[in-house]
Amino acid sequence: MYISLNWLKEYIKIPAKITPAKIAEELTSHTVEVEGFVNQAKQFENVVVGKVLEVKKHPNADRLRLVNVDIKTQKLDIVCGAPNIAVDQLVPVALVGAILPNGLEIKESVIRGEKSSGMICAEDELGLGKNHEGIMVLKSTAKIGELFSKYIKVDDVIFEIDNKSLSNRPDLLNHYGIARELSVIFDLPLKEYEKSAVKKSNFIDKADNELEVKIDDQESCLRYLAVRVGGIEVKESPDWLKSKLIAIGQRPINNIVDLTNYVMFDCGQPMHAFDGDKVPKIAVRKAKRDEIIETLDEKEKVLNESDLIITDGKKPIAIAGIMGGKNSEIDSGTNKLILESANFLASSIRKTSQKLGLRTEASVRFEKSLDINLAKIALDRFLNLLKELCPNLVIESSITDINQIAVEEKDIELNLNWLAKKIGQEINQDIVVKILTKLGFRIKSAENGLLVSVPSWRATKDINTREDLAEEVLRLYGYNNIEARLPVLMLNLPLPNQERLLERKIKQFLSIGENLNEAYNYSFVSDDQLNKLSIESSNHLRLANPLSDMYTILRQSLIPGLALNIKTNQAKEEKFGFFEIGNVFFNTPGNLVKDTSGDQFLPYQEKHLGLALIDADDSFGKLKSVINNLFLNIINHEAQIEYLVADSLPGWSDKQLSAKILVFGEEVGFIGLLDRITQKNINLKRSSALAEINFYKLAAIIFKTPLLTFKEIPKYPAVMRDLAFVVNNKILYNDLRNHILNFNPLLRSALLFDVYSGDKLASDQKSLAFRLTYRADDRTLLASEVDAIQSDLVKYLEDRFEAKLRDF
Amino acid sequence: MKDKLNNLRNKFLQELSEVKDINYLRSIELKYLSRKGELSEMLHELKDLGDDLRQEAGIMANRIKKELQEKFLEAEKLLNEDKVQATSSPDVTLPGEKSFHGHLNPITLVQNELEDLFTSLGFSVIDGPELESDYYNFTALNVPPSHPARDMQDTFYVDSKNKEGQFDLLMRTQTSSVQIRAMQKYGAPLKAVIPGRCFRNEATDARHEHTFYQVEGLVIDKDINFSNLKSFLEIVGQRLFGPNTKMRMRPKFFPFVEPGNNAEYTCFLCQGKGCRVCKYTGWLEIVGAGLVHPEVLRAGGIDPDVYSGLAFGFGLNRLAMLKYNINDVRLFNSNDLKFLEQF
Repeated sequence: MYISLNWLKEYIKIPAKITPAKIAEELTSHTVEVEGFVNQAKQFENVVVGKVLEVKKHPNADRLRLVNVDIKTQKLDIVCGAPNIAVDQLVPVALVGAILPNGLEIKESVIRGEKSSGMICAEDELGLGKNHEGIMVLKSTAKIGELFSKYIKVDDVIFEIDNKSLSNRPDLLNHYGIARELSVIFDLPLKEYEKSAVKKSNFIDKADNELEVKIDDQESCLRYLAVRVGGIEVKESPDWLKSKLIAIGQRPINNIVDLTNYVMFDCGQPMHAFDGDKVPKIAVRKAKRDEIIETLDEKEKVLNESDLIITDGKKPIAIAGIMGGKNSEIDSGTNKLILESANFLASSIRKTSQKLGLRTEASVRFEKSLDINLAKIALDRFLNLLKELCPNLVIESSITDINQIAVEEKDIELNLNWLAKKIGQEINQDIVVKILTKLGFRIKSAENGLLVSVPSWRATKDINTREDLAEEVLRLYGYNNIEARLPVLMLNLPLPNQERLLERKIKQFLSIGENLNEAYNYSFVSDDQLNKLSIESSNHLRLANPLSDMYTILRQSLIPGLALNIKTNQAKEEKFGFFEIGNVFFNTPGNLVKDTSGDQFLPYQEKHLGLALIDADDSFGKLKSVINNLFLNIINHEAQIEYLVADSLPGWSDKQLSAKILVFGEEVGFIGLLDRITQKNINLKRSSALAEINFYKLAAIIFKTPLLTFKEIPKYPAVMRDLAFVVNNKILYNDLRNHILNFNPLLRSALLFDVYSGDKLASDQKSLAFRLTYRADDRTLLASEVDAIQSDLVKYLEDRFEAKLRDF
Repeated sequence: MKDKLNNLRNKFLQELSEVKDINYLRSIELKYLSRKGELSEMLHELKDLGDDLRQEAGIMANRIKKELQEKFLEAEKLLNEDKVQATSSPDVTLPGEKSFHGHLNPITLVQNELEDLFTSLGFSVIDGPELESDYYNFTALNVPPSHPARDMQDTFYVDSKNKEGQFDLLMRTQTSSVQIRAMQKYGAPLKAVIPGRCFRNEATDARHEHTFYQVEGLVIDKDINFSNLKSFLEIVGQRLFGPNTKMRMRPKFFPFVEPGNNAEYTCFLCQGKGCRVCKYTGWLEIVGAGLVHPEVLRAGGIDPDVYSGLAFGFGLNRLAMLKYNINDVRLFNSNDLKFLEQF
């Protein structure tokens, strides 16, 4: 929203020492965020008044002239196309280097072979109107060589205010509201808003002069004032009106439209003028399903039962509070108007505006809940000004005022001890009273604290409780004038968050220790993405209003994101990997309640750890070792980690190189190599290994795993023996190892150190080489003892697995 | 025996004179002077000699042993002092062997920093669901059904309607959604920070992301006041941006706090002088805050006449962008190695 300093000055006298920068700073510190301000004169830098000395025909173009202009310091040759140019005219001349309000930069140029040093401007080129008929001819009061800005007396400063910071302040979307705030901030007197009713003499004296207004939907139309006026002449607005609107970035249209806009930017009330000859009466109702209206922007809008409309008793003539209809638009032939000044239910306006994608200056104001009293004040103001613009104005009907709600006065008690406690500092009662009074609050009583009556323009939504009043006092007293003091609090042991610490430990280890990079994938995936990975998407939760086709489904797994990460980076690196710790979402009820009723639950959500890497020869094996190292690091170095053949495989996984991951016998996740088809589907150059671990399950196992404690250092030496067993390929390492370990209590560990298959073995066989450690706690083992156990073991494994001891 | 000893001595001295590097020296030491070296062997043989010969040979052997040891030390010393012309010339400027490591997302780094700051102040770190109900994300936070924050254009709703036919599940738009859950679960007093992922349904560009990260802070106790809030925010600014950081506040509307404010800190890059990062204002807008609205306390089951609270929220994306001078918010979720490798 733009605010004009000159406009504000109509309501408060701002001394020169309060600079625009100061105003911007203080408004920001106390009221709303000022995004910046522009000194208007700057727009016309390098535009001066010139006098036309000579006009000649252009030798090479019929429509162009060669003009010589005196700008006092020098005489310029300029090529000009305007038909109205004539000797002795005073004209605005844009010098080389000027940047005009329409963005045009003036440069030295040659036009059809003739040099041109500048431009003689038309009104529209200076942003002063629509007129491009010819150059702007200035009055004889213009002085040759003076700045154009001085001639047109632009000395205004325009502030831009962040609309978002106004979301709870319907009273500030206008100049008077901002002036009121400034009057409090700078302690300046505020002029009362013009409220005089229209003079009786302007009404024509007729018996049957009622304007018929019917409100069908009283819930959405809170107040409706309407009046029929005649004697209208639709024409260009006077300069004062045009320049006010131009200053705040509004395009002047005609005197009637401009005046409704002026009143809106002045006091905040949107108004609408219908062509009185086209509209016999007013009826406000909800639209019918599929009812159509062509709005002023010449677009057809299809309405339904939730949209409030204004009709002429039959057809729609406006979408209430948002935009007028084409069929009742005023034009140059209009001589009667029906004027509307109304108040509509904020939520209704907002809903329709959202649905139609139609946000207007009017809807923005209505959807913030406007002061119900404003409709009448604005209409009076409008009619008084209209009389000035159209001296022949006659008011043909009485003013119809249908007021659906009785405004109740809102009183709030404000105890100053409570206020001091809330702020942490006492603020003198006189200051509190002064701030509130200047803001328009009325102090009804000052015994036992203050009884404060809320002004109607603040009572619609914004101010309801003593906390709201505390904010009013505090913000105007100045947040920055409050002393900062830490509270004195009881010491409490913070709640432990073990999972968070574990998460950090995992991230640290995987990045520093295992050379993986941390991925942050979106929580949303697409049908296409899941299809390519052969993941069934039908059981996934979906977004009702996704931003794009790429992000429509709530992820149930981190795999799709990580597979994509491998793909997008494969051109940059040969060997790399990612991990991600993130949440996934399931279409089944979880354990968190939806609300306080307690019988509805949020969808189940859990945290996963995902891993993905690509390695030259053995991505699968490499990822397994990453997982091993991680678990040994975050659980303990004796953690029991197993990979077992999975019972069911995800569609993307290689049928053989995939396994479920177990920690201390409990399943925590899955690891697999992307299969060839998936690899092709997602355009991967080489196959990547992916794993996904349920973070909560892993955390639970870790938290219940007892701490490893000190064990006596063995007194007696261990005996090591290396043995290699040749077995059928189908025999699994994990089984063989478990049987070895359980074979004899003296056999303490079996560490796999080599796996071989190849020329020296039959094609369906592999050799697994273990380093076996034997040790007794109470004696030094004899070689003969170990030999005995070992030969039994070899025999046992032969019986159990058809394992043969390998000869080297 | 005497001859043998003399031969050994001469051989030793000859070889020692040829020493050029430490390895050769070691081999000589091993060959002659070690426990199983030639000299030891020879001394060992002494025991087999007759008494008279043994005494004489013994004296000579000890003299030679002493001499050889001295010569050896001399040679070693020379070598150490680099007086022998070296045959090899090692390049000491060669790098050590590099161990590769991966990289954390800068959001994680900033989040960890904030968590550490607040846990050091006795705050708990609390988590909450990313898929949240309309109730906890809006209603309980004093955001009535008609508030613009609920507009479809701002919030991702999950395609699942409740009994009344309305979408009542959404992707949380703010970590404030965990406030009520925390109050209900832990009651008052409470000091907690809530880090996490949030979502807004808005088109992405260099300055906007539909997925972003926040840290919410919440303090509830008896007599928590605005002066306390101000002090907390000052401390945070000083910890994040240095001890000389100044703060200024201005009003800002958030439905779940009253009064509500923004806090700006002096720009750490230009120390408040004005630069590109602070848009030449000297200030950086970092945090939204306020005193917890009594309706919010009530919704959390806490009596606003007994307790009061303060709340504040940081955008982690913004903090990370400022800290590392990152110019495009989309990079955080880009998972581009060339980006991550810089942290």
